[in-house]
Amino acid sequence: MTTNILLITLVVLAIIALNTQKLRRAVVYLGVFSLISSFLYLLYGAPDVAIAEAVIGTTITTVLYLVALKKYQVFTIYFCSDPNDPNRRNLTNNSPFINNLESFLIKQEMEPQIIYSEKPLKTILTQDKFDLAICQTNQKTLIYGSVDDYQLDALEDYLLTNHGDLNIHLIRYTEGDDNEA
Amino acid sequence: MTDNSEIITRMTGLLYPFILLFGFYIIINGHASPGGGFQGGAVLAAVFITRYLVDPNRCIQLKTLKTAEKILFVCIILYPTFFLFSTSASHTELMNLIYLIAMNFLIGLKVCSGFTIIFFRFVFYEGGIL
Repeated sequence: MTTNILLITLVVLAIIALNTQKLRRAVVYLGVFSLISSFLYLLYGAPDVAIAEAVIGTTITTVLYLVALKKYQVFTIYFCSDPNDPNRRNLTNNSPFINNLESFLIKQEMEPQIIYSEKPLKTILTQDKFDLAICQTNQKTLIYGSVDDYQLDALEDYLLTNHGDLNIHLIRYTEGDDNEA
Repeated sequence: MTDNSEIITRMTGLLYPFILLFGFYIIINGHASPGGGFQGGAVLAAVFITRYLVDPNRCIQLKTLKTAEKILFVCIILYPTFFLFSTSASHTELMNLIYLIAMNFLIGLKVCSGFTIIFFRFVFYEGGIL
């Protein structure tokens, strides 16, 4: 009876781990999965395998997955600028806008990675994988971000309060499907 | 994981000796009860891995661990061969016991250093910023 209940729990946990949105939760569900499976090994009379499963499945793989997720949190920013623009140098070298953006992302436990690109904005939006695409013209600053990105609201608040003079427009873009960690 | 909480640091500091004791118990008592070299070694490696969670910046000496693993591997190969070929006639009960415990111990230390090397190599060298 107990083994049947535990086996059903295993299947349910596996399905939950597959269907969660956030990877971190899926890792925790996998840890619980292997803990229950180690208990099942114990009930089937294999204590040796149970110890190995408990240690390796629950501790070591969970920590490894969490570390891998932490390395995955890289926030890619495309900064596109027109190559004909005369004051392009001012933007790329130590602009306070970029520095503030970087410090904000670091506070949110993300690792900013900024790519300066001279491609037109349309090709970046359609081809490349990005989290933010910034396009700065004389009058206004356009920022493209994916709709699913939950960091975007906090980012918008921060930018509007600190850089209100730059005339920032934040455009939520539907097709970006990365960044789910 | 970057900012360490006080509670986790202190509790893991309290738990270290018990985890270590449990790992050595599994290794040394492996011939009589469930467990053995591999399982005990994995428990010992869990100590190092939780230490990474407590303070990630403390460096660990991977080079000494690597040489220790190599030396242990040579020992694991050499000890059974000497045991088998040296005293060909009579293996007493006590000698068998000592042989089992020593082999479990060697395998446990080898597995521990292997797991630790894999983990810290993954953490510090692989990946990084894409």
